[in-house]
Amino acid sequence: MTPRLETIGLSLGYEGEVFARGIDLTLDPAEIVAVLGPSGSGKSTLLNTIAGVVPAMDGRVLVDGRDVTRTPIHRRGVGLIFQQPLLFPHLNVRDNVAYGLRRQGLGRDAARRQADELLSWVDLAGYGDRRFHELSGGQAQRVALARALAPRPSVLLLDEPFSALDLDLRQRLAADVADTLRQHGVAALHVTHDPGEAAAVADRVVALEDLFR
Amino acid sequence: MITPRWLPWVWLLPAGFLAAFLVYPLVNLTTTIAGGSGAAALGRLMSTGLWQVTALAALQATISTVLALVVGLPIANVVTRYRFRGRAVAQALVTVPFVLPTVVVALAFRTLLGSALPLGFALVVIAHAYVNLAVVVRIVGAQWSQLDPDLENVARTLGATRWRAFADITLPSLRPAVASSAAVVFVFSFTSLGIVLILGDALTRTLESQILRQTAVLLDFPGAAASALVQLLLVTGVLLLGAAAGRRNPARRMRPPARRPVSRDPWARLGVYGTVTIAYAIVLAPVLALVAASLRSSSGWTLAWWSSIGSVDAGTTRLGSPVAALGTSLGFALVTATVAGIVGGLAAVAVLAPGRVRLVSVLAMVPLGVSAATMGLGLLLAFGRPPTDLRGTNLLVPIAHALVAVPLVVAVVMPALRSADGRLALLASTLGARPTRAFLTAYGPVLRVVVVASAALAGAVSLGEFGAASFLTRAGAPTVPVQIVRLLGRPGEQSVGVAAALSVILVALTLALVLLVDRMGQSRARVPA
Repeated sequence: MTPRLETIGLSLGYEGEVFARGIDLTLDPAEIVAVLGPSGSGKSTLLNTIAGVVPAMDGRVLVDGRDVTRTPIHRRGVGLIFQQPLLFPHLNVRDNVAYGLRRQGLGRDAARRQADELLSWVDLAGYGDRRFHELSGGQAQRVALARALAPRPSVLLLDEPFSALDLDLRQRLAADVADTLRQHGVAALHVTHDPGEAAAVADRVVALEDLFR
Repeated sequence: MITPRWLPWVWLLPAGFLAAFLVYPLVNLTTTIAGGSGAAALGRLMSTGLWQVTALAALQATISTVLALVVGLPIANVVTRYRFRGRAVAQALVTVPFVLPTVVVALAFRTLLGSALPLGFALVVIAHAYVNLAVVVRIVGAQWSQLDPDLENVARTLGATRWRAFADITLPSLRPAVASSAAVVFVFSFTSLGIVLILGDALTRTLESQILRQTAVLLDFPGAAASALVQLLLVTGVLLLGAAAGRRNPARRMRPPARRPVSRDPWARLGVYGTVTIAYAIVLAPVLALVAASLRSSSGWTLAWWSSIGSVDAGTTRLGSPVAALGTSLGFALVTATVAGIVGGLAAVAVLAPGRVRLVSVLAMVPLGVSAATMGLGLLLAFGRPPTDLRGTNLLVPIAHALVAVPLVVAVVMPALRSADGRLALLASTLGARPTRAFLTAYGPVLRVVVVASAALAGAVSLGEFGAASFLTRAGAPTVPVQIVRLLGRPGEQSVGVAAALSVILVALTLALVLLVDRMGQSRARVPA
C-alpha cells in the first residue's frame, strides 16, 4: 500500500541554516498523526517544507508515492491549515470554500454548490454569504477546514489549528475535526504543543525530537 | 481632561489666517469669473479651449498615474516585504524624488533625456511618474507589509499558481491603497506646473499652466479664474473618490510588518536585487545628470557655471544674480517655517480642546486640495491691488507657502499630540501644577520637537515651491525656482549651466532639511512612551 505522505531523510532549515536532519515520516491512507513538540522547535517549518512554502534543505517528500520535492506548492496536492484561519478577506465564506474547486477548473455555480455542501459538513450550512468578520473564531477555523478539504488534497497539514481558541472550544472543535477527517478518509499531519489535543485527534502521536536524527 | 483657560481659543489665529488668505481669495476668485453678467461667466466656463486643456491634462495625468503604478508596485513589493541588507536605505532613497523641487526634477530630466526625447508629452509623463514614485511605494507598501504572506500560501496549497495567488488574493487586498495612491498621483500630475512649463510643448498643458498663461501673458483674469474653478472642482472630486476607495479596507489590523528573507532560489534573488538596483538607477540617474550638467560645457568639464553664480553677469540685469535669488528664497523659507509652524501648530493643538473647536484642524487641511496657481492667482487678485496691496511687503510669497505647508504641519503634529499621554496632565495637576503647566508637562516635550521638525519641513516646501511663487514674486526678487525657470527661458548654454548649479544647491538644501526632520522624528521615537 502506497503511503499518502512519506518524507525520506528530510532536512529542515530557515534562511540557509539547517536545524534538523534525516526526518523519516510516513502517513498511511486515512491515518491521522500528531507531531508533538514545544513552540519554536520547528514544527511549522516541518509543515511548510512538506507543503513547499519553504524549500527542503535535503531529502525528499513523496505524496502518493510521487516525488514532489521540487514540485511548486500548487501542484503538490497538500492542504494547509494555520493557527489563524486566514480566510480571504474580500471573499465571502462560500467563495472561500469554492476557491480551490475553481482552481481545479470547476465552473462558478458548480463550485459554489459544492462549497455549500462542504459547509454543511462542518455544521455551517447557511453561512455561505457571511464575511470573515461576521464569524466567531471557531466558525472561521471550520470554514478554513472546509476550504482546505474542498480540492480533496492527498494530505492535510494542520499547524496548531486550535491554539488561538478558548480551551472549551478547542476540545470540542478538535473532536469535530477528527470526526470530519475520518469520515472523509483524509490523511492528516497535525502538529501541536498540547499532548491532550494530540491524543484526542490522532491515531498515532510522535514526538518531534524523536524524528530528528 | 485638564483644560487651560486659553485652550478653547487657540483656533482663533489659524481660523483667521485661513479665512483671510484662503477663503477670502477663493470667494473673490469666484466672483471674478462672473466679471459682469452671468451669461459671460457661463461662456467662460463652457469655452472649448478650457475643456480641451482639461481633457489633455486628464489624459496626461492618467498615463502618468499608470506609469507610476507600474514602476512603483514592484519596488513597493521588494522594499516593504523582504528583509535584506540596505533595505532601509533603499526605502529612504525612493522618497527622494518626492521632496525634490519640481523645477529641479524637470531640469534634471531635460539634461538626462533631452537629447533622446523631444520636449512634450513623453518627458512630462516620465517626470511625473518619477516624482510620484514615493506616493505609490509609501501608500501601497504600508498596506502590503500588513498582509500575511501565509494568505498567499493558502491560495497556493489550494491550487493557485504564484501569479494567480497574487491576482486573486493580494491584489484585491491592495486595491484600496492602490486607489488612494492613484488618486493622489493623478491630482499631482493633473495640477503640475513646473514640470509642464519646462518639459511640455504647446500641446502638453495643464489647467495650472493655462492659468499662469491667462494671468501673465493674456491678462485674462476672469478666464484664469474659470480655469481655476474647474480645476478645483475636478481635483476635489478625484480626491473624494480616492478617499472613499481608501476607506474600503478589508484587513485593517495593524501589526509590525512581517518581512521575509529573500529565498535562495536564484530567480527570486534576481527579482529582489534586480528591482532594488533598478530603483537605485531610476532615482539617482536624473540627480547625477543634473550635477554633471552643472560641471559641463560644450567644450568639456568646467567650473565656470559655479564661479559665475555670484556675479550679476550670470543673469541679465533684469534677472538679478543667482546668489540674490538664493538669499530671497532662504528668507522666504524662514518666514514660511515660522508662520506655518505657529498656524499649523495651533490648529493641531485645537484638537485637544473640547467641543467643535477641533474642526479648525479639518479646515487647515483644505489647502491640500487647492492648487498652487489657484492660490497664487487668488492671493494676487485679493491682495495685489489697492486697497489691500501687499505686493510691496514681500509677504505674499511666504503667506502662500505657509498655506501650502500648514496641512503638512497639522498632519505631522496632530498624530503626535494624540499619541501623547493626556493622563500625565492629570497627574501633574494632582501634584499641584496649574492647568497650563500641567498641559505643558503632558504635551510640551512632544510639541517642541514636532513643531520644529514640521516647520523645517515647511521651509523645505518653501524652498522648492514654484507655482504660487511664479504668480507672486516681484520681478526684481525672484525665488530660486522662479529664477531657474527664467534662466531656462533664455538661450545659451550658460543659462542651463547656471540653472543646473542652482538646482544642485537647492537639492542639497532640501535634502539637508528633510534629513534633519527625519533625524528629529527618530529621536522622538526613542523617547519612552
